[in-house]
Parts: sequence; C-alpha cells; structure tokens
Amino acid sequence: MSVYGHKKSSNGHAAKASKRRAAFYDLDGTLVDLNLVHAAIFTLANVGEWSGRVSYLLGFAARIPRLYIAEQRDRRLLNTILFEAFKGISRDRLFSLGEEYCERILFGHLFPRAVELIEANREAGFEPVLVTGSPDFIVAPLARQLGIADFAANRFVFSRGRATGRLAEPVMAGDEKAVWCEDYASAHDLDLADCWGYADSHYDTAFLARLGHPVAVNPDRRLRAAALSRQWPVLHFETAASSEQPFDFDSDLELNHDSERSTRGSDGSA
Amino acid sequence: MARPEAKLKELKTAESRHEVGARSELVVRVNRRSERRIIPYGEEFLFEKLPVGTRVIYPPPPLDPLADADQAIRYALLHPENQDPLFAQLSPNMRVTIAIDDISLPLPQMRRPDIRERLLNQVLQTLADYGVDDVHLVIATSLHRRMTEAEIRRVVGERAFKQYWPDRLYNFDAENRAELAMLGKTEHGEEVWLSRRASESDLLIYLNINLVPMDGGHKSVAVGLAPYQSLRHHHNVGTLRDSHSYMDPTRSALHRSSDRMGKLIHRSVKIFQIETAVNTRMYGGMLDFLHKNEDHFTDWDRTRLKGFQWTMRNMSSEMRRTVLHNYAAPYGMIGVWAGDTETVHQKALARVFQQYAVPVKGQADILIVGVPYICPYNVNSIMNPVLVQCTGLGYLFNMYRNKPLVREGGTMIVCHPLRDEFHPEHHPSYIEFFHRCLAETTDAVELEKHFEREFAANPTYIHMYRYGNAYHGVHPFYMWYWGEPARQHVGRVIAAGCEEPEVAARLGWEAADTLDEAIAMATSELGRSAEITYLHLPPLVIADVE
Repeated sequence: MSVYGHKKSSNGHAAKASKRRAAFYDLDGTLVDLNLVHAAIFTLANVGEWSGRVSYLLGFAARIPRLYIAEQRDRRLLNTILFEAFKGISRDRLFSLGEEYCERILFGHLFPRAVELIEANREAGFEPVLVTGSPDFIVAPLARQLGIADFAANRFVFSRGRATGRLAEPVMAGDEKAVWCEDYASAHDLDLADCWGYADSHYDTAFLARLGHPVAVNPDRRLRAAALSRQWPVLHFETAASSEQPFDFDSDLELNHDSERSTRGSDGSA
Repeated sequence: MARPEAKLKELKTAESRHEVGARSELVVRVNRRSERRIIPYGEEFLFEKLPVGTRVIYPPPPLDPLADADQAIRYALLHPENQDPLFAQLSPNMRVTIAIDDISLPLPQMRRPDIRERLLNQVLQTLADYGVDDVHLVIATSLHRRMTEAEIRRVVGERAFKQYWPDRLYNFDAENRAELAMLGKTEHGEEVWLSRRASESDLLIYLNINLVPMDGGHKSVAVGLAPYQSLRHHHNVGTLRDSHSYMDPTRSALHRSSDRMGKLIHRSVKIFQIETAVNTRMYGGMLDFLHKNEDHFTDWDRTRLKGFQWTMRNMSSEMRRTVLHNYAAPYGMIGVWAGDTETVHQKALARVFQQYAVPVKGQADILIVGVPYICPYNVNSIMNPVLVQCTGLGYLFNMYRNKPLVREGGTMIVCHPLRDEFHPEHHPSYIEFFHRCLAETTDAVELEKHFEREFAANPTYIHMYRYGNAYHGVHPFYMWYWGEPARQHVGRVIAAGCEEPEVAARLGWEAADTLDEAIAMATSELGRSAEITYLHLPPLVIADVE
C-alpha cells in the first residue's frame, strides 16, 4: 500500500452500503494451526486395511525429499506432488475421511479468535469465503461447520470413482487464488478493493495484494517482510491451547448447517 | 524510619527558583551574530540559521526535583487533600482497583524507578498492611494500544509485576462488553461508561503522571478507563474545535466534558486520586546541550551536537529508532498530591504551569515547530504522517494559553521528513485512514460523518486492539480531530524538509525541501516583515500569549 498508487475503492463512501463485501480466508496456518501435510498423513494412515495404509504411507515417505524441495520453490508443485500419494483412494472413502479428520482433529485446532473474527466480520457485513489449497473433502465439512457458503479448494480428478492423483485445474496455490477471487468478485458483484483477505504464507502474497484490505496472519518470515514493506496489518492468532479451550461449536456458535454452497466443490459446480 | 513532619513538608514543596514573570530571558531575538538553532526533525535534529528578527521561545529550565520522592509520596498518602488518609479508608475484604497511566506518559520514558513504581510500592504496602487482598491493577489504556509485558514490567517494577501479573495486573480492554458498565448520562446527554471492575470497587485509586496540563484531573478516570461509547462525546470535531487550548483546561470543551463525566463517576465510585508532576529534564548527560540556548554553546556543546547528528545520520532507521526509544529521561518529580480529584488536580496544575509557562508578547505571522521522533502514541513505534499531523497541529500548536502563538490566518511551518511509514501492528487502522479516507477528504466533519463508525466497529481492528498491540480502529480519527483547532485557525501549513511531497499533500499541507525554502514560501505571501516565531524544543514550553 502506498500513497503513490493505492487501490482506491470504486464506490465512494456514500455508495458503500449498497455493495456486497466479502472476507477471504486462507485455511492452513491462518484459521487452524495445522497444515496440508497433517491432513495428508491422517488420510493415508486411515485408508483401507493395514497393508494398504503401510503402502500409502511408504509412498508418501518416498515423496518427502521432493516435497521438501517443492515447498522451497513452488506451492503449486507441492500440492501436485502431495496429492499424487492419494492415487487409487475411492471418492466415498476420501469424503468420509474428510468428515472424520474435521471431527477428530481439525475443529480442535481452529484458532478460537479466528472463529470469533469470522463471526464479527460476518456481522459487520463481510461474507466469509475460504480460499485454500487444502482438498475439498476436508474443506467442505469445515465450511459447513463454520456456516461458510462459498469456498475454493483443490479438487481431485476422479476416474471410475477413484482418485487419479491429479488435481483439477485451477490448482489453488499462489496466483491462482488471486485469479479465483477476481472471478468470484465479478460473479457476485463485489469490489475487491472493499474486501478483506487473511493469509499466513508468502505464497499468498499475490492473493493478498489483489484485495483492498490484506491482513497477514501469523505470517512466515517472508510474508512478514512483505507485509511490513507494503504496510499490511499483521495479526496474530494464538493456538487453542495457549489462548483458551478449543472452540466448542455446539455451545459457542449458532451455525447454519444447511448453507453449504461450494463454488468449486468436488462436483465441480460453479 | 519516618522523618519529622516539618521535614516532610519541606521535601514536598521544594521551593522553586523560577517565577513565571521572571522568564523574559527565555524569549530571544535572532540577530546577525546569533548561533544557529537546534530544531527537532523526526529522528534527527536540524541545526539551522533562522532569519534575523526571528523570535525564539525557550522552555524554562527544569525545576528542582523533590529531595526525597519516596518520603514525599508517603507524606501525600498520609495527608491527602479533602479526604481521609489512604490507610483510614481501608478495611479487610474490600475490593480495590488501582488504575495506572499508560506508556503514553512521560515522553521519553523515564529512568527507572518510574514514578508509578514508587507510587505502587507504597500504595500496595499500605493495602497489604490493612489486610486488603482483593486488589487489581489496571493499565488505563482507554483506546491506546495494549502495553506489552516488558513495558508493563518496566513501569510497575519487579515487585508489583511478580505479585500481580497477569491475573491481577492487566491492560484495560475497551471492547470487552462484559467488563464495561454504564453509569448514566450527564446533563449534556453524554453516556458515561467505565471499567466494570473499577465501577464495582469499594475504592478506585488512580496513579497519574502530569507531563503537561492537559493530563490528569477527571480526565484520568473518565477517559483512561472508558470505551468508545464514552469517548465519542468529547473526542469529536465539535468539542475539539471549541477547545482553546487543550493545555488550558479552563478554556477547553474537551476538559469540560470529561469533568462532567468525572463528576458523574464520583457519585457512584469512591476515587482516591494521586497526581504527580515531573520537571522538564528530558535530556541529561551527553545530551544536556539540547536544553541550552544555542547562543551560549561552548565548543564542547557544538562537538557533541555534531557527533550526535553524525551518529543519527549514519544509523539505519531501525537502529536509530531503537536507540532513541530506549533512551530514558532523567525526569525529576516536582510534586505529588493525593486525595480528592479536583483539589489534587488544581495543585498539580499550578505546579505544572510553574514549570512550563513563559510569558510571550503578541502573536506571530509564522510559527516554526519541529516535530520530534516521539509523541504519546508512538512509543517504541513509528511516527507516521497522521501522528506528525497530530503532534504539529494538535500538540505543538496548542502549547499556549490565552491566544495561539500564531495569528489567525498565519502560517505554520512543521519540520519533519514526513515519510509514508506506518507500524502495521501498532497502527493498522492508521494505514487505511491515511490511504483511503484522507484520499477522499481531509475535512474532519466529513471524515467523522462517513468513516468514524465504520472504523470503530471494524472487527479486524477490534481484534488487533484486544489481542494484539494495536491502537483502536477509531484512534486515527481522534488524531485527525486533534489538529482541527489549528486547521481552523491557520491559513497554511508547510512541511519543511519534507522528503515525500505526496504525503504532505495528502495531509493538506504544502511541501518544502528545506526550512529556508519554507520560510521563503511563507514570507512571499506575508511579506518580509512578517513576524516569525520558533517554539524551541526540547523540552516543552507553554506560551502565555498576551
């Protein structure tokens, strides 16, 4: 953000009330203190019989050097390599494991303050949207639980009901998130200059830069440097353990469990 | 061992050698042989030749500090104004809250032990002696940023910190609705909200530092422990436009409003106010030349100034900022009073004016001020352009009683590099305010009408205020309103030494590369006979303008 070239909202203050506004959230590291690898290991360790599990985990272990190199270079490459390990798992099994992962692991690792912020933003008129590189079979139950209607997540290509190990385009990583936000904004009559975005990784710099109100959340070293130089607010969420008890959905939040409307769900509906 | 009372009285009221009327030597005229003058310029100091005939107003020398500050505090607690001594107001099982001024005072931070640590140690000992266990210590931050653990530890001292942090020593949270109580409305319809803990206490003790006459009094509790719902009644354009000046509580609508609120609070909360005043010894040791009249500089003073300038210029901005903000001033306590808020504050005010006031004859056409690296809202942080505006037009313009130092329609020259720099964790809403709101309008009324509520209710800013170390979302608006009386009064503002003219333009100011250029721009309109006044900082001075 600079005095020389700030993105000015196309709608002035007088017209602001008439426009829809949204808040875009990254997931891993931003709303939860877990990352994609946790979800992958959980899924692979719980798929099929024990022999199948060992086979999948060995396949994953063999990919670790490539994953490490990919993590240093390109988030899209990381996603591509990581999800190759899921080849052959049935679609039904993936979605049931996604539900189980959310119930058993993910909900307990949500940052309580992040959930509060989503709700406060919603009350202030910012419709929440998830934009994440996590797979849709994990994001869908989470979005449903948080009452988030729209999300963008990575989707597998399935053949005869089984994952091929390839990701459907667009792969949600890096610049693709920004492109998706633009498409989403034009489809929903949003001005991105009025929208807020929250992310934790330097790979999300392009995504944040596309929004009028970018916020670096628990930023990694490179995103923090980018945030400082671009004058983006920096926000810190503490883990459930260090701030308070894990978020209790039943008692703390009234959610709309029927509101899921994925724009890029596993069925590809837009 | 207690000293005889007569000795304590002597300590408490250390005689001043400085009478206000005898300060004519503090106003000097620049002539051909005059030395250049030191001018604060952000994180550096300029040393500039001023035009012949320029009037320079120097701050009075520091008053002598109390010989024994701890004894003076003990005396104040034992002999309060219009109240029983503190110990006589205590009983076991009562609930006591101690509110403490935050990091915005004093500036720069003072050397340890901080006055608040001295006060706390004695107050807490008294409470312990009388069996009072239910004690909470609340940093009265209002909408300021939360102080960090290290900052709190430095202010309250090890003893209180170890005993009370973090469960019973914490920052006030103006957005924790469950911990706020509405006490009623004043006769002017102002809603009075207060920390619930403070409002439900049997005794509220306030520990204050008066750096300038704007501080203290009813404002301590009514602002320090209040949320946006209360502050919006006096931190608004209308009220601040009617304050002439902030440093003269008798002519300040801001103070009248907070006084009304304070009186309402007093009806339901018992308050024991402890006020202190510090002298103007901001810089000591190797930097004491900053207090001197430059005409009296020795070669050693000039050498130190050059060395200081060279060092500052050759440091990275990060390092320079760290060094400057870590500097601790050798302030001396020049008074301490306890008891009834209004009586205590009157005595503190008299002492503060004794320290700061300088009689000045007539207004100037052009007022030159230098904005330093620090203001109440950027301790351990960055002086961003909105805060430069607040310091220049809000604080330095208001350093007067009776009439402003600059005439109506005159010109203010503000020396500061004015960079587009913000601290993303301390001042997140300032960034949006500067880049979005000021890009649309600099009219305070328009800003208040169209944007203030949105920022005050913004969930991200509220989150960063509550759980991070950010100023409240509405705070940049208050900083802008703070400059409103000056904007209404002066004809033009020129930023001298401005490195980024776009920043000056965003503030509605003109930009000049140098001070000479700024003076030339001002005199080109007002004529070469224009009366120029330079308000010399550091430390601080309040002009009694005739």
